[in-house]
Amino acid sequence: MREDPTSRRHHVDSLLMRESLLDKDLMAATDEHAPVVRMLADAHVVKVGGRSIIDRGRQALFPLAAALGRALEEHRLIIGTGGGVRSRHVFSIGLDLGLPTGVLAQLAIADALGNAHILGTLLAPYGVVAIPPEIFGHLLPFFLKGAPGVIMNGDPPYSIWEHPPGIGRIPPHRTDAGSYLTAECFGCKSLILVKDVDGLFDADPAEHPEARLIREIDVAELKAMDLASLPFDEVLLDLLPRGRLVKRFQIINGLHPERLTRALAGEHVGTIVHAD
Amino acid sequence: MNDFADDYRPDQLLSDLGKRLVSGSLTDRQLLAQTAGPVQQLLPDANVVKIGGQSVIDRGGKALLPLVEEIAGNLAQHQMILGTGAGTRARHAYSVALDLGLPTGVMSVLGTFVSMQNARMLHYLLAKHGIPFIEPVQFPQLPLYLVERRAVVFFGMPPYTFWQQNPAVGRIPPHRTDTGSYLVSEVFGARSMIYVKDEDGLYTADPKKDRNATFIPRITAGELLALDLQDLVVERAVLELMQNAQHRRSIRVINGLVPGNLSRALAGEDVGTLITAE
Repeated sequence: MREDPTSRRHHVDSLLMRESLLDKDLMAATDEHAPVVRMLADAHVVKVGGRSIIDRGRQALFPLAAALGRALEEHRLIIGTGGGVRSRHVFSIGLDLGLPTGVLAQLAIADALGNAHILGTLLAPYGVVAIPPEIFGHLLPFFLKGAPGVIMNGDPPYSIWEHPPGIGRIPPHRTDAGSYLTAECFGCKSLILVKDVDGLFDADPAEHPEARLIREIDVAELKAMDLASLPFDEVLLDLLPRGRLVKRFQIINGLHPERLTRALAGEHVGTIVHAD
Repeated sequence: MNDFADDYRPDQLLSDLGKRLVSGSLTDRQLLAQTAGPVQQLLPDANVVKIGGQSVIDRGGKALLPLVEEIAGNLAQHQMILGTGAGTRARHAYSVALDLGLPTGVMSVLGTFVSMQNARMLHYLLAKHGIPFIEPVQFPQLPLYLVERRAVVFFGMPPYTFWQQNPAVGRIPPHRTDTGSYLVSEVFGARSMIYVKDEDGLYTADPKKDRNATFIPRITAGELLALDLQDLVVERAVLELMQNAQHRRSIRVINGLVPGNLSRALAGEDVGTLITAE
């Protein structure tokens, strides 16, 4: 440890010693280091939609759970769940009461967690259960060594630390974003978002039957299209270009569970969104 | 058949907005625009005060002990939610992590540990005043402690851990203790957000390295970002988030090495640099 003669601050010798972590050149230099470690290079992250899949009940979820069960014989899966209609409901009540975005984010975690336990009940025979969020991150590699898969609530643990959004008050980092951030931090093999549409369309297919499926697109092209709505959290368009390990994800229709099997095998069965 | 069953009309359980939220897309900007509206100020009397890690705590007793006395002296007049920075040991941990190629999310975990050490030290120095240190899971007790003891200590890092986003440039976690503290002030609709550092406020360059740096007493977040300075006095994310904020649309940066500055800032005086959303 030494005292800096000009600022009289005390420092420990290291690369970042005496430096501002807000300095642009210094931050750019931090990328000139070892490649980022992939903690779980063989695991896939599969996000199962809340409203799109789980809220449909047995008709949609039983076949998908069976497909997940078969996949667990071959693949290591980190399964994230969405919050679905209950999150939409608690948002509407919270908005009506004038509660801030961070509180809405905190409340919504409970819905995705409930869905994680619903899915965990169906996958219990495979040894795959919902892991409490408090220990999930720290113990994830340990769990995946002992079980073929784990289930998490898809939400990132932003809670009251959620960012105020540019428009309105709905929390921007929801379960697609949390699943992406999990995949990126742990360096997973792929991220698959399981929804109830075949992928990304150039208009909402529920309202525009003539809408065209976009098989593959990058973030810049997608931003330029300025679509009225997206089938995934919009913040992914900000997160994906900053990805170091996960630079793409695929959206598939989970009402056709065989597509999950094929997507895990690396096939292109929905829409692939690339960072660049 | 009871009265409750008679009153049960599922179609009226949700407001019009609620129905649209249940059936619509949460990426639809028209729908999102309808979710804007007045937000409650949950803790309007509380001040969030962030004590810098490298700038204050790492200087040891000479800097921190007088500040602790000043905090104690303000308990009668002001409620304070006291966040801590990380500082030198976080820089060391980040350096090791960079050398090994550890992901940004892991660095966020490491930074949290250092910020927590600093929170514990500040907490022990304030212990005789009955002031608790709360971790994120204890935040539901925050309002009680503020009423009972007038202050709490928390670690400034937002609890993103492995879910910390990558920065646009480099690998250091972009949302650190300035951002975590700021978001606490925004979500609770706090009375003020005060950053206690070791400079008088914002300068056109790092005054520790550039003698020609000039002081900026007041500026908007947009102007500051447009200046595209080599270095910033608070994390960039704070300036970006402030522009979307409902309540905490200004922050103040003061020099905690000067006795009386914190008291003046708590009293609402114009000390240091005020950065506003617009």
